[in-house]
Amino acid sequence: MTRSAVPLAKARANGERSMLAAIGRSYYLLGAVSAVIFLVVWQIVSMNVPPVILPTPAKVAIAFVDLTLSGELIKATAETVWPFTIGLVVAFIVGTALGLVLGIFRPAARILDPYIFVFWSIPNIAWLPLFIAWFGVGNLTLIIFVFVSAVFPQLLTVEAGAKEADSFLVEVARSLGGTKREILRIVVLPSALPYIFAGLRIAVGRALVGIIVGQLLIVATGIGYMFQFYGETLSLAKYFAPLIVIAVLAVALNRAVNWAEVMLIPWKPRAFN
Amino acid sequence: MPELEFVNVRRSYESPTGERLLALEDFSLKIGGGRFVTVVGPSGCGKTTLLRMACGLIPSDSGEVRLDGTVLEGPSPKMSMVFQGIGLMPWKTVADNVTLGIQLQAHRHKLTAEEHRRVEATLGMVKLTGFERYYPYQLSGGMQQRVGLARALVRQPEILLMDEPFGALDAQTRTVLQDELLTLWDRAQSTVLFITHDLDEAIYLSDQVVIMGRRPGRIKQVLDVNLRRPRYSYDARAEPEFARLRNIAWQSIKEEL
Repeated sequence: MTRSAVPLAKARANGERSMLAAIGRSYYLLGAVSAVIFLVVWQIVSMNVPPVILPTPAKVAIAFVDLTLSGELIKATAETVWPFTIGLVVAFIVGTALGLVLGIFRPAARILDPYIFVFWSIPNIAWLPLFIAWFGVGNLTLIIFVFVSAVFPQLLTVEAGAKEADSFLVEVARSLGGTKREILRIVVLPSALPYIFAGLRIAVGRALVGIIVGQLLIVATGIGYMFQFYGETLSLAKYFAPLIVIAVLAVALNRAVNWAEVMLIPWKPRAFN
Repeated sequence: MPELEFVNVRRSYESPTGERLLALEDFSLKIGGGRFVTVVGPSGCGKTTLLRMACGLIPSDSGEVRLDGTVLEGPSPKMSMVFQGIGLMPWKTVADNVTLGIQLQAHRHKLTAEEHRRVEATLGMVKLTGFERYYPYQLSGGMQQRVGLARALVRQPEILLMDEPFGALDAQTRTVLQDELLTLWDRAQSTVLFITHDLDEAIYLSDQVVIMGRRPGRIKQVLDVNLRRPRYSYDARAEPEFARLRNIAWQSIKEEL
């Protein structure tokens, strides 16, 4: 546990930082205060505008409970989560693997990079009519759309990371007798790891956009469809329920990625906690 | 007896402006017999090029580098190199960095019980017992270079190549590590090829000091150092012989600056 003890001891020794440290320690308190202020402001604003513009927090809470108890929200969440997960996981695997390969074998990158860049530059949504024509209206198209949304940021970030491998460390490994394979495992992969996580963070965001847009425009199911339905019928209290689900999902995923990063990359000093 | 030999080696490289520059020309040198040989010379005289060729990291343009009579084609498990930049893997702990020296030598991940003991013993020799689980960023520069030294020594090399290993350290740490290196060398019985631009360091450590001239690098003068060993057991730097050698070496190098 020396890992965390060292920076902490430094922070303690450094008197001028003690204010910041105190604020840091009351992290959860800060979060709670912020949430209360947010709800109070929401309540005050919503009491002064028509309910079709902004429902009160209480009405939103009731709608959320109703939709949960009726099973509608749970069913929609399930319909959203599984194609999202498949699309994202496949994009993560393919993006990471291809990114590593292109980062190391530069001739391959010189051939493929222009195509990847063009694919990446075109807004996802422009592909949608084409995907529907090719793969039909269904979950397959939805999964492919999520995949395409997430795979490019993962691929490009990991490729940049693999290129970043320190040539001096490669030389050191070579001097010790390391073969190409060993160098890949011992030097290239670990130096790309922070980039793999950075890519994943962007990929998660893109995949969330992909799944919602896809459900809105392709399959008319899940959370995406709830937005459309309750938006068009101006049932704003109910409209907030899927919004909350997506927000919770996004925060939970981001936390999971952060946690995995801290667990898998213990060798880096962290400037900010 | 292990022997590393340069035979009429020539090596050039391309400068950023596109000219071919000759780093070394007609360079011949033989080291071995457990002797400590140091190469000194002005910066840009091809010292580092020399050591990278000795390690098998780069080929020579012409001539040969031979290890125990056979032409060197690449890095050899019989040798270890210590770098000025150290080059510890930031993602590996102290113990894992040292272990890597064996793993890449033997091309297998799992160590035998004897090898585990050797890692432990080597960490003890460089006074890093208790720091096994630290990451490099948690260590001072001197301690990091001790790890670099341990990673090289754990391979029990016949020949130890050292490229200005203490050049980036403060004077105090450097002096301490010089003595520790001599202690380790007494025990390890390796032949050492050491590179530095520090004359005092060269004379203090070596049996033989090779002075190189400016580009293209060639041997200008060879000095035998006959100061009594172990030199850390008395104030070797204060001996008249030390001052005499230092003066000769300095006169020789001065002409090249």
